[in-house]
Amino acid sequence: MIMKISKYAALAGALSGIVFASAALLAQQSKFPPRTPDGKPDLSGIYQWPKTDEGEKCKCSATIFDRNKFPPFKPGGEAFYEPRTGDPRHDEPRDFCLPAGFPSGMLSANAVRFIQNKNFLVMAHEFQAMTRLIPLDGRPHRKGIEPSFYGDPVGHWEGDTLVVETTNFKRWSLDDYFYTNPKEYRMHSDALRTIERISWKDPKTLSYKLTIDDPKIFTAAWSQDFTMTPHPDWEQMGIFEYVCEENNRCPGGKCGK
Amino acid sequence: MNVRWLFPVLFIVFAAAPALLAHHSFSAEYDATKPIQVTGVVTKVEWQNPHIWFFVDVKDESGKVTNWGFSGGAPGQLMRRGINKDVIQPGMTIMVDGFLAKDGSHNGSGGKVTFPDGRSVFTASAEDKLPGK
Repeated sequence: MIMKISKYAALAGALSGIVFASAALLAQQSKFPPRTPDGKPDLSGIYQWPKTDEGEKCKCSATIFDRNKFPPFKPGGEAFYEPRTGDPRHDEPRDFCLPAGFPSGMLSANAVRFIQNKNFLVMAHEFQAMTRLIPLDGRPHRKGIEPSFYGDPVGHWEGDTLVVETTNFKRWSLDDYFYTNPKEYRMHSDALRTIERISWKDPKTLSYKLTIDDPKIFTAAWSQDFTMTPHPDWEQMGIFEYVCEENNRCPGGKCGK
Repeated sequence: MNVRWLFPVLFIVFAAAPALLAHHSFSAEYDATKPIQVTGVVTKVEWQNPHIWFFVDVKDESGKVTNWGFSGGAPGQLMRRGINKDVIQPGMTIMVDGFLAKDGSHNGSGGKVTFPDGRSVFTASAEDKLPGK
């Protein structure tokens, strides 16, 4: 009799365990995607840089674009593949601690932290301490400012997707392709406009779609899908300081001691 | 005991893949056709951006000591892989696999560091590439 009761108790315990586990799983799923107090998806967190399985791999640790996505060039668009000149100040500007720019810097192999509130999304990338302040309050692009390496972003929500449009770039390298082919750049023009579409795919994956619209180079805009992996295990470590000038020992290939 | 640990020397190893860097392209500063492997005693470690540097006194067969400098990944990249500044300390004897600097100096990229007990750490930026693989 006692044994029978024990069996029933064990069975009841196991069943209640399953019920509790299922309820916990449902509760977790019902919280997906995480949301801010104003009801928008909460993108805040620390992530690995955007990655993809598609296309050519960079001979470096960064992500580069898939050439199969490129539409035909417009006349003059061949300038995209600007050749190297032999002058390190032209060929390796980063070697002198000049910025990677966007989108190249975003695809660099470092951690990036997103901080979000109602009015701004801040992207704080470890590489070169790249910081993008993206207004979400509906303001238009700034007018009358000089083109820049990182451009002028503004964001808005389309359902649960954050859409960030960036304009007003200066001509610069689109990605780290020049690591893979040391004879050529991929140089975007000053007409570049980028669109980022960011949304939660699942609790462990952020979708990051990047559209490149460069009407001086390409006959059409084109896009590539990337994913970003949240790393709560990096929260304690955080984002590290990155001051390129601190110990840049070999600018232009001239090492010193 | 491996004789290389008793008499640290510089010698060339065969075609190994460059340990690639993040802040600039490898080809800007290093010669992928000149892999090197040196063994010596660490004299200094600079755990700074854009790349860590560590310096090693290398004694040749005649007994002449040359101080070599090697660069690795950015501190943040290494620490995220669990490699912190304590991994290489002055006074340690290490073997470094890397590539010579283009300028002919006693500098190089230092992608892999091996300790006398056989343990090794990958000190370059790329997470998935090891010298020689």
